[in-house]
Parts: sequence; structure tokens; C-alpha cells
Amino acid sequence: MSSSPRKRSTSAVRAIALLVIVVAAFCAVFFYAGWWDAMFPVKAVTSQAHQVSELYTVIMAVATVVFLLVEGLIIWSILRYRRRPEDTELPPQIHGSNVLEVIWTVIPTAVVFVLFVMSLNTLNTVDAVSKTPDVQIRAVAGQFQWQFDYLTPDGKTKLFTESTPLAANGGGLVVPAGLNVQLSLTSPDVIHSFYVPRFLFKRDVNPGMVNRFEFTIDPTEAGQTYRGQCAELCGIGHWTMQFDVVVKLPSDFAAYVKERTAAALVTPAPRPSGSVALELKAKDIQYDKKDLSVAAGQAFAIHFTNSDPAGLAHDVDIRQSDGTTVLQDKPTTDGGKDVTYDYTALKAGTYTFICSVHPQNMSGTLTVK
Amino acid sequence: MATTTIAPATASTYRGGLYEWLTTTDHKKIGIMYIISSFIFFLIGGLLALGVRTELAQPGLQFVSNEGIYNQLFTMHATVMIFLFVIPMLAGFGNYVVPLMIGAPDMAFPRINALSLWLLPLGGILLLSSFLLGGGAQAGWTSYPPLSEDRPLGSTGYGQDLWIVSLILIGTSSILGSINFLVTIFKMRAPGMTLFRMPILVWTVLVTSVLVLMATPVITSALMMLFIDRNYGGHFFDPATGGSAVLYQNIFWFYSHPAVYVMILPAMGMISEILPVFSRKPLFGYKAFIFATAAIGALGFSVWAHHMFTTGAVFLPFFSLMTFLIAVPTGVKFFNWISTMWRGQLTFSTPMIFALGFLTMFLIGGINGAFSASVPVDFALHDTYWVVAHLHYVLFGGSVMGVFAGLYYWFPKMFGRMLDETLGKVQFIIMFIGLNLTFFPMHMVGLAGMPRRIADYANSGWTDLNLLATIGSFTIAVSMLPFIWNVFVSLRSGKIAGDNPWEANTLEWATSSPPPPYNFDHLPEIRSERPLFDLRHGKTGH
Repeated sequence: MSSSPRKRSTSAVRAIALLVIVVAAFCAVFFYAGWWDAMFPVKAVTSQAHQVSELYTVIMAVATVVFLLVEGLIIWSILRYRRRPEDTELPPQIHGSNVLEVIWTVIPTAVVFVLFVMSLNTLNTVDAVSKTPDVQIRAVAGQFQWQFDYLTPDGKTKLFTESTPLAANGGGLVVPAGLNVQLSLTSPDVIHSFYVPRFLFKRDVNPGMVNRFEFTIDPTEAGQTYRGQCAELCGIGHWTMQFDVVVKLPSDFAAYVKERTAAALVTPAPRPSGSVALELKAKDIQYDKKDLSVAAGQAFAIHFTNSDPAGLAHDVDIRQSDGTTVLQDKPTTDGGKDVTYDYTALKAGTYTFICSVHPQNMSGTLTVK
Repeated sequence: MATTTIAPATASTYRGGLYEWLTTTDHKKIGIMYIISSFIFFLIGGLLALGVRTELAQPGLQFVSNEGIYNQLFTMHATVMIFLFVIPMLAGFGNYVVPLMIGAPDMAFPRINALSLWLLPLGGILLLSSFLLGGGAQAGWTSYPPLSEDRPLGSTGYGQDLWIVSLILIGTSSILGSINFLVTIFKMRAPGMTLFRMPILVWTVLVTSVLVLMATPVITSALMMLFIDRNYGGHFFDPATGGSAVLYQNIFWFYSHPAVYVMILPAMGMISEILPVFSRKPLFGYKAFIFATAAIGALGFSVWAHHMFTTGAVFLPFFSLMTFLIAVPTGVKFFNWISTMWRGQLTFSTPMIFALGFLTMFLIGGINGAFSASVPVDFALHDTYWVVAHLHYVLFGGSVMGVFAGLYYWFPKMFGRMLDETLGKVQFIIMFIGLNLTFFPMHMVGLAGMPRRIADYANSGWTDLNLLATIGSFTIAVSMLPFIWNVFVSLRSGKIAGDNPWEANTLEWATSSPPPPYNFDHLPEIRSERPLFDLRHGKTGH
């Protein structure tokens, strides 16, 4: 300690007081504006996510203590050890202390080791995959659309495919609350990532390998819908690759699966004879034709063949010639499948036919005369 | 007996200004050109970032005409900032300062040094030329295949190939530079300059050079394989034809994680030079600091897969433990820095202000990194804006703060004139506010579920935070104006610096400002890591 009492000039006192006021005001705003709450993850909705959320809180507590301690020491040094006019002699030239070095090596090592063990415990439950999950679904992520194949409990046979990813369009990943759902992930093209913020979880969808994970949504969450989206850059339509998770009561879920399975078994009615369908193919994320033409005022159909690999979905929508205003919206068709889309009559003019999944690559001109 | 006279080097061999700079092998001129080139790329990378932030200010696509251009913006922003700004900027400081600090007349291989320098603008021009040749790379700076392969909706066109070629050129520059540093440090130290008397900055450059030498050839191999895949029908990384996409990630991060330490260790070294000088004390725990630096370097090679926790293809517990452990030597450094200031006599010149900025901000980048070391938490945070916040607190709050501390500190040595203190402090205040305004809200928007690298969003809860970050990014841009003005004014009319304006203790301050081409007329005795302190105070200070 210095032998002579230090005199603080009034300006220094004022500066310190100002700093204290600024820091206090900042903290007040931080809490009042809800920023402290914003430093925690969104509300968890699965049993796994609750554990992640709790782990986050523990780490946040440790982080806050370390942050306040270290920033406090820095600010204290700045305020307390400023050089003053009377400081002509050198301060004590201390080169170090082995005792201190050992202390601040051992204590942080112990702290991170505890955090590591806690993380590992949580990981073992969050990442666990059971042999007999209640529900098995395969998520297929292709540029730039999600599809969900519902499988039999043994995971071997496909019951039906939900190819509409958003709830607003009548689709989504429909799952039961309170049951254990196993999701397997496959990609036909590039790397994607299955991410639902409310699950506090994501898992990459790698081409050439299958990733699996499980989740159990809280029983109280039936009726809720959560947005999810691709979290690994997958190209030009990356941000559009969104989907909804639709939570149903187990009984409603069973009815849903039954209904959709039955619908998938029905063979489509043969087309009325006499109606002509235009031919259109897709391969390598391109239509084989850039121009189509039909007669004005007459309903028409397009027989569409998707020759891309399974998981890579396309459709043929009709839009205004500006390419954005949608006139007739059609469901997507998976790679390797063909379909006949029926369209209502159009007035004479020029329109755009376009794939809603790949609008940048796949469009053409539809002439109606 | 005949007398042999050797004609002294005189003004007759002096070469004119521009020609001299273009052909020089003087490490000081090369260092300055490294720094100028890096700063220009810093401004270019900054403009690209402003493009990204402008697009994200509001939902909807307003600024860029399509997502492809957006993807180019952030890909090129990161590539330019990492490979053409941070890494060469720190190499530039190393080039200028290391020979002076160890009392050497130049780098060991002056011509190779010039080659390392000139490969950089070549690589940079190749990279940026892609904008004129059909568009830049757009698969992210990580360029994961199959997205970076030549395939529909992948990376067709020249942009990705130019990216690969320019990175190989820049990598070659790094490798040559690191060999040069190692030989210089091991072979060209002045008498008395033992390894454990070297300034910490020299130690950090040494460890960094080892990292570069061991890691850069590995990423070069990944880039070569990707180039073969794209142009010569290879199938290394395409699963459709038997390759492995995850293999690329392993090779890529085996380089790119150590590269993070390449981007921060020399900045830590600079801080460790500046804090003691402006505290009038020696660095606390000199040897502990060296061991911590070596430990970070060694552990840095065993944590690469923490970038791949969500792939489902790596052994999670090992990489989690190693990542947690690397917090320990970083913590040791923090406590040593604070103890250096403890009971010192602190003065707040601009280099010290930026050094304190480094301490306060890099701390945040260290702490929020520990969240991602916990695998389950990383499952939630990976590839969200949280990670963007984390890496910018490390690279901007850490490296950039360190770079400006270094610029203000060594500018007087380089040019013989001081930078203006008032303008420096104005720059610091604007930059400090801008940095926090830009990157702190990214924690929150990441926790709210916003993934990185998306061109647009429709979630109303993300809008305000994004707008705040955009305002912050323009604030950072504004903070560059006082700096540029400061440099132009101070070069002409700044206060004359003298040999040692900061009362510093390392050898570069023992020669004139700027130093002569051969660096030293004579060297003081070197008996500790602070030879100039010993000269001023004798042994009494110890």
C-alpha cells in the first residue's frame, strides 16, 4: 500500500460518479427493456429442450459471475491506479507470483471441468436414441423444400408423405404431444440442418448419411404450431426453406395418420377422355421447356414428370408475367414421380409458369391465345 | 600492403520513391505495405458487411436483387476480412516489429519476405475480380461441399474457382512468412537476447508461425481436392458418387480453428507490450504468459470439431472437453494482464485505450464461446446469430481493437510522428459504441432462433434487434473517418515522436524513428526482457 494518502481531485471524483451513474443507468435499462430475459433461449417445449434450457441457465450464471468479476477488476484498475502528478517514482516492479498463477490455473480448470461433466450428463439424455420410439418420421431436406415421410413403427415402410411444409398451406410436420418421436434425416443434394428454435436443437442433414434424434413434446403443447427452418447454408433459396411443427393430441394424431395413410392408398381417378395434357419434365433443377401455349378460355392440364432424385421436389405454378403474383398454386411433386396438374381457364395473354421451390432456376413463359 | 577499401553505401544507390517501395526487401517497408494493403482490404470487407447489414435492416429483400447476391456479400465479407485483413495485418506488424524487437537488421530471407507480401494483393485482386466474371463465391467462407461443388443450385461459374486459387496463393504467402519468422527468431537474435528475454509479441508470432506452418498445408490440400472435384471430375466430397461431404469439414476446420489463434495470438502479444508500458510495470507472469500461449497453440489443434457438433459425425465428449480446457490458458492471460495494471501508474494514451477496449470486449468473446463448448447448448446456438456475435467479439472486439492499439503505438516508430490523441479517442468512442450496438443484439436475435446466412426473415421479433445491429454497423463505418483523417494529418504535421515517445522498454525504441535501413547503430546490453528499462534505471528497478 502506498505510504502517503492519495488526494483525488474533484474532477476525478466527478468522473467516477459519472461512470457509476452511467453503469447503473445502463443496468436499469438492460433489465427494464427486457434485455436480460432476451439473453435466455426461447421457451422450451420438449423434454430434451427443458434440460438444455436448464444447462444454459447454469452456464449463464457462471458466465455472469466471471464477466462481472473480470470487468470489475479492469474498471477498478482503471479508476484506482491512474497515474497522478505526484507519481514520479516507479511503482513496485512486481514480475509475477507462482502462487497466483497456480491459483488462477487450478480454479478455472475445476470450474470448466464441472461444466463439462454437467454438459456430458445432459448430452447423454438429449442425444439418446431408443430402439422402439412411439413414432418414426423421416425428414427429407432437398433444395429448398422439406418433406416428411411417415413410417411404420419399425421404421421400415413408408405410410405416406407430407410434401407441404407450412401449416398455413395445410401441411407441416404433424407430431403427437407427449409421445416419443424419432426423426431420421436425409438429403438428396447438399447439407441442410433441421432446426426448430423451440426444440433448442438442430441436427445437420448430410447427404450420404442418416442422422437420427428424438424428442418428446410436452403434453400441454397440443394445438401449438412452431416454425422451424434450415440452419445450414444450402444455396440461393436457403432462407425460404421453412416448415411448421404442428402438435396434436395423440388421439388426433392417430386419426391423422390413419386418414392420410388411407388417402395415399387410393389410386387417382383416370382422367376424363378427350382432355389433353401438355408434357413438361424437370431434370437437374431445370424445366425441359421454356415456352408453353394453350387456348384462351379453356381449362387445361400439364402432365409433369420430375426426373430429379427423390427428395428434390418441384411444382408448376401459374403466375402473372411479373413472376411473383400467384394465380394458380399447385402442390409439389417429389423427384422420381409424375403427376397431372389441372388448371382453370385463363384469359388471353402472357403468363409465367414457375417452380415455387426453385423460382430462380425454373420458370418459363405460358402463352394463352 | 595494399589497402582494400569498400565503398560505403551512399545516396548514389538510392532508388526513387515508388520504385524503391515496389522493389524493397527492407522488412520495415514490407511491414508497412502489409499494413496498408490489409487496411484497404479491411475497408472493402467493411463495405461488403454494410451491404449485408443494409439488407437485414428490415424484413423483405430491398437492397439486393436476389439471395444469390446476398450470399456473395457475406461469403466475400468473411473471406476478405479473415484472409486479406486480419491475418496479413498481424503478419505486417510481425514483419515490422519482430526484427527490431530482437535486435536483428532484417528478416532472415528478405526476398522471400517480399514474395510473401506481393502474393497478397495478387490473391486479393483474383478474389475480387470474380465480381466482374459472373459473381463471387457464394457458398460461405467455409465453402462446404456439395454446395461449393459445380452442380445445379450449387456453385457454378468462376467465383468458387477464383476463391480457391486466391486462398491457395494467400496460404502460400502465410507459409513462406511463417518459415521466415521462425528462422529470424531462432537464428537472428542479438547477443544477450535469449528466448526467455524476447518480448511477448515475438513469442506470440513464434507460436503463430508454428500454427500456420502445421495447419495451412492441410487446408491447401482440401482446396486442391475441391478444385479437382469441380474441374477435373473428382469425387472427393460428393456423396452421390461415393465421396464424403463431412471429410471436407474435418480438413477445413483442422486449419481454420488454429487460424482463429493465428488471428488473435499476435493481437494478445501487442496488448502484452502496451499494457506494461502504460502501467509503468513489467508484464506480470512473463513465463506463465509464454506457457499459456504455447498451451493455446497446442490445444488449438484438438478442438476443430467443435465447429461440427451438429453434424452427427464427430466424437462429442473429447472435443467438448478440449474446448472447455482452452478457456483456462486464456483466463490465465486475463489475470496476468489485470495484475500488470494492478498497483501500477496508468496513463491513458490512445494505444492504452484500445488495449483496454481489447480487454473488456475480448472478454465477452471468450465467455460467450464457453456456451458453445457445452454440446447440448451448442445444439441450440450453432449456426444462429449467437455464433456471429461470438466470433465478432473475438475478431472485432479482440483482433481489431488490438490492431488499432498497435497502429497508435507503433505509428510514431514507423513514421517519426505521433498520431493525434484527440482524434484517436474520438475514433475509439465511436467504434466502441458501434461495436456493441452491432454485435450485442446478435446474441439476443440468435437466442430468439434466427439462423445466420439467411437473406430475409419474416419473424417480427427479430426486426428491432436487426435494425439496431444495422445502425451499429454504420456507426463502426463512421469511426473509420477520424482514423483516416488522423493518419493523413499526422503524416504531414503530427508531433515529432523522438526515439521513445512512450517510455517503452523493448529494443525497437532504442533506434531512431523511423529506424535506418539497417535498424541499429548500436544495441544496448540485453540482460532482461526490458533492456531499455535497465538502461534507464540500472538494476535498481528490479
